[in-house]
Amino acid sequence: MQTIAHLVKKPWFLGSLVVIFVSVILWNIPIEKRKYGLSQSGLVTDYTGLLPERIERVVRAENRSDLQRIVRQANVNGQQIAIAGLQHSQGGHTYYKNGVVLDMRTFNRILEIDELQKTVRVEAGATWEDVQEAIQPIGLALKVTQSQSIFTIGGSLSVNAHGRDIRFGSMAETVKAMTIITPEGESKTVTREDPDEWMKYIFGGYGLFGVIVDVTVELTENQLYTIQTEKLKMSAYASYFDRLLNDQHTAMHYARVSVAPNSFLDEMYVINYNHTEKQDFTTRLKKEQSVRLTKLALDIGRHGGALENLFWGTQKRYIASLNGKEITRNNAMRSESTFMEYTKPGRVEVLQEFFVPVHGFEAYMKDLKNVIPVNDKHDDFKIHNITIRYAATDQFTTLNYAKEDMFGLVVLMQHGLKEEQISEATSLIQNWTNLTLDHGGTYYLPYYRYQTKEQFRRSYPQWNTFADEKLRRDPHNVFQNMFYDYYVK
Amino acid sequence: MNHKSTRYLPLIVTVGQVVIFPYYIIWLKEVSLTFTLFAWFFAAFSFAAAWGYRIAQSRKKKDRSYIAIIYAGMGIVYVSIGGIKYSSDILPYVVLLLQVILGLLQGYFRAWHAEQDTYHLHTVHHYLIVGCAMIGFSFVKIISPVVFITTFGILMCMCAVWTLVIHEKEEVVIPRK
Repeated sequence: MQTIAHLVKKPWFLGSLVVIFVSVILWNIPIEKRKYGLSQSGLVTDYTGLLPERIERVVRAENRSDLQRIVRQANVNGQQIAIAGLQHSQGGHTYYKNGVVLDMRTFNRILEIDELQKTVRVEAGATWEDVQEAIQPIGLALKVTQSQSIFTIGGSLSVNAHGRDIRFGSMAETVKAMTIITPEGESKTVTREDPDEWMKYIFGGYGLFGVIVDVTVELTENQLYTIQTEKLKMSAYASYFDRLLNDQHTAMHYARVSVAPNSFLDEMYVINYNHTEKQDFTTRLKKEQSVRLTKLALDIGRHGGALENLFWGTQKRYIASLNGKEITRNNAMRSESTFMEYTKPGRVEVLQEFFVPVHGFEAYMKDLKNVIPVNDKHDDFKIHNITIRYAATDQFTTLNYAKEDMFGLVVLMQHGLKEEQISEATSLIQNWTNLTLDHGGTYYLPYYRYQTKEQFRRSYPQWNTFADEKLRRDPHNVFQNMFYDYYVK
Repeated sequence: MNHKSTRYLPLIVTVGQVVIFPYYIIWLKEVSLTFTLFAWFFAAFSFAAAWGYRIAQSRKKKDRSYIAIIYAGMGIVYVSIGGIKYSSDILPYVVLLLQVILGLLQGYFRAWHAEQDTYHLHTVHHYLIVGCAMIGFSFVKIISPVVFITTFGILMCMCAVWTLVIHEKEEVVIPRK
């Protein structure tokens, strides 16, 4: 006690106390989350906040019969329903002007895990993280999921998502059965053999063909993988990937392309998850780590120019440090997302994804250099990151983006919200889309509607079938959203 | 502190700090992302004030007070608050820095003020003036707390200039022996 009293008299001690305490605060200042979603004011937005719209109300069903009642009532009253989960889609897919938003987050239970058959039956409002938490202790993992586990099951299937796995095809292919509420309020359990082909339209149907209530998803062993990273030249990637696909040693794979001025679209690194044949039962699901440091690095890169070169260099060093490390399949399927939070008023960060055939990748990337700026330091429209993932051919869904084996380029970009800034971004993205279409590619639909209706129709030639089927199955147009209203109707 | 006018400056400063405090709290609440952070900002201020107080007490030359610099420092901090953009990504970090600087300066000022002959008289006046001032301010509609904070910052800078000017004059008039 006397020592403390004596120390308090020393300025250096109090100074040290301040420095230590300030360091603790600095480390714990929370990362601000963007505010979006279902508000009480009747105004709704999704993740980007680009399409705010007034709705009639938000409803939450208590149980399945309540869900049926809501849909049947909408048929009778001529109401429109949009279905929402966590609203990470970015183009108004989860709400409709003056419509009812069906908030599915109450349907979040894990219903059944069959260890023998390796399946899990889960409600549509649960997240992939919920599923992982239930199956990790028994040594199982999902076959296909997105890079992050923050999305709802219903949401991922409605946008026909794909992931880093290069062996099991699309996420939809891993669904054995599901329970849906049809547009007329009927509850149905459907499989892939269903003569009415409900799955064909529900997957990648953006919530326009019915409500997904629960799904039975195939699982696999929660294997331990060795991470293998490698730096590559862009020109070498297509042949590198071809070898990787034929060699059964790799389970998951993705790549990242440089958008830094010094190595713009020339350098890339690949990250592979290679089999060890060991199943893991004990490793816990990882939590978000080093969020502040990662965010700081990204924030530096966001400035463009020399700082983006610095960011790319940092990324390369970090990725190289992962080489040889081990990770479980479950943990490889739950990348961090908080570091990407961006809340600057007057600006927005959005995603776009372009698909290009594997065989045409090199030529496409060469031409892309003429479409996007090498150095965007002084531009309003900035590209922060391009990640490449493989999407295997999908002939099952109607609005299918992978008509053949494709590479998906997931692009993180930023621009201002003034009219001229949005129109500049729109123009650049439309040029990029045209280039992609010219190379036999497509673009992904869950994002903001920069593309023209003509570009949508060129990318998805089956849109007519989709529209006809929608009218046939939902004659009262119960299920509606902003995306459908803009592109398909 | 021989000049009559400078004798009242500490009273202006100490009254001003208390009067501005409610507005400062409103501003700090607006820029804090969570209540925890809001409380921690205050804790940082408090620790820094203890440090500043001790620095002032430990100084070797008691006749040198640097009080003009302290006034100017506090003035600059309050004026800076008026200029901060709410949209800045680094806002919480800037606020934390300002809290530490402000705490340090206020602690120093309080220790220095306690050494002055007029301190006890100022304390009584301080409470009376603050009471009256707060009644007066209760009738003023707050447009933005930042306006009041900035105004006080400018006043503090003026106090610093005034202290410096008087100090220079005294040095000219009364040659050191």
